Amino acid sequence: MNADAVKSIDLVKVYKSKEKIEALKGVNITVGKGELFTLLGPNGAGKTTFLRIISTQLMPSGGDAEILGYSVLSEPEEVRKHIAVVPQDVATYNNFTPWEYAYYFARLRGMAASEAKQTAERALKAVDMWQLKNRMCQTLSGGEKRRAIIASALSSNVDVLMLDEPTSGLDAVARRGVWSALRDMVKEGKTILLTTHMMEEAEIVSDRLAILNKGAVITNGRPDEIKALTKEKYRVVVEGNFERLSEFGEVAKLGDRNIVYVKTQNEAIELLKTTLKMNLRAEASPVTLEDVFVKLIGGINNNENH
Amino acid sequence: MKITKILKDTLIIAWIKSYPDLRRNPLLLLLLATVGAIPLFFMLVFSGGGLLIHGLIGAMISNVAFIGVLAGIQDIAWDRYIKIREMIVAMPVHPASYALGIALAPLLLSVPSIIFFGALIASSGILTLEMTVWIILALILAWAAMSSIGFMISTYLSKVNMMVLNNLSTLLGFLFVFIPPVFYPETMLGDLSWISVVIPTSNVAGLIRAYMGLMPLSGEVIIVRWLVLIATTIAFVVLTSLKARWRET
Repeated sequence: MNADAVKSIDLVKVYKSKEKIEALKGVNITVGKGELFTLLGPNGAGKTTFLRIISTQLMPSGGDAEILGYSVLSEPEEVRKHIAVVPQDVATYNNFTPWEYAYYFARLRGMAASEAKQTAERALKAVDMWQLKNRMCQTLSGGEKRRAIIASALSSNVDVLMLDEPTSGLDAVARRGVWSALRDMVKEGKTILLTTHMMEEAEIVSDRLAILNKGAVITNGRPDEIKALTKEKYRVVVEGNFERLSEFGEVAKLGDRNIVYVKTQNEAIELLKTTLKMNLRAEASPVTLEDVFVKLIGGINNNENH
Repeated sequence: MKITKILKDTLIIAWIKSYPDLRRNPLLLLLLATVGAIPLFFMLVFSGGGLLIHGLIGAMISNVAFIGVLAGIQDIAWDRYIKIREMIVAMPVHPASYALGIALAPLLLSVPSIIFFGALIASSGILTLEMTVWIILALILAWAAMSSIGFMISTYLSKVNMMVLNNLSTLLGFLFVFIPPVFYPETMLGDLSWISVVIPTSNVAGLIRAYMGLMPLSGEVIIVRWLVLIATTIAFVVLTSLKARWRET
């Protein structure tokens, strides 16, 4: 089948409790096969809602989504054969071992014992948990537990993996371990859809990403394409008080530090020279995804305020 | 989904929910046995053995009923809390496999103590093969009824705090097992003995006592009691399925 791995069509979700909350406002996202696609957004942007709908856990209020051409609305059983999900903040059964997680989840996919053993072994090795396979989960670190759960999803040997903030709460080393495992999976041809609010994660691991805010897609594309969306290409962080900063570019004030966004390398160098003459500390670098993200999200807020 | 896949998944989930406990926490089996053994001990001390056979019947029922209701509430709530349920919903697993698997797991865990208490009853020499078959069927229905009550509570109280649900399930377990005539004959209730028909645990206890010849019940009454038990189970299953949503809306 030549369909996209994931395709959402005007996906809408409205929660009706005391007040009506529009969690998704017509989201259209397409993820190609063998791609690592990231949904980036602040807390409450609608990332988890989107993931829960396309993984057949939650019914949408409007629109539809397809996984490998199967509709999540009308063919959820077919969709479930092709996906595996790692929810946000998922915890482990403490008396389980990583091996049991990977093996039994494979068995629930309908695999025979011998096949489940093979795929469990492959999954645990992929996330570097093979040495710890027989340790009880209660004795594992947070990162190891998370990798055990990812292995259980991976052992399903499915085409599309969906991970909701898989590295939240992990330290830098554990986080990189998970990133490495995810990129290896993509190399093997898996499609991965993950959500995060961590810019570094989105920038490093994603082939493409979409920025989601207040239930709407602000933009999507490759990380470098998104970074190119702003006119300002460089940021200069200036430490200390300097009133003329706004003459050089847009200024974001962070306590006693200021980030000045400038359009060209020459403008950045000019600002550095000026600050050095004033005995202030300054550092220039290309703009980050976080800079663009804040600008895009902030822009939306400003528009709404107006 | 094929029925064979549903049954296979049921057994896998039951295994997942019981095997690690059996293997790594065998003390749990002893703990489960004590739910029935402690009241039995007091009955032995205070009745001088006169009510022992009634107590053994109660001990068997308490094993399936107490942890049946506990599993129906606690396991479902715990899976929801740690989000394993979300992973399973997104898998090709039928909701019936999940529910049956969770209900079956405590039954597997209680088998050793049921056999133990059953063997003690058998040693009295009053059991026949036919009686044994009826007793097993009655115990299975007690398990089904109590599990369905547990499922109904966990479904209708899905927003309630996990700790509250844990306490509630333990309290219900005690209420269903120790208050009604499960460990003691319902004739002791006098005019209120009809209550035992309404409550699944005491209904099963009455049936077992009737099959063992410890309490005279006519054939018609026995049929009515079975029907009440089956109807109770079906009612709770229907109530649960009306509210439960495998896929949230």
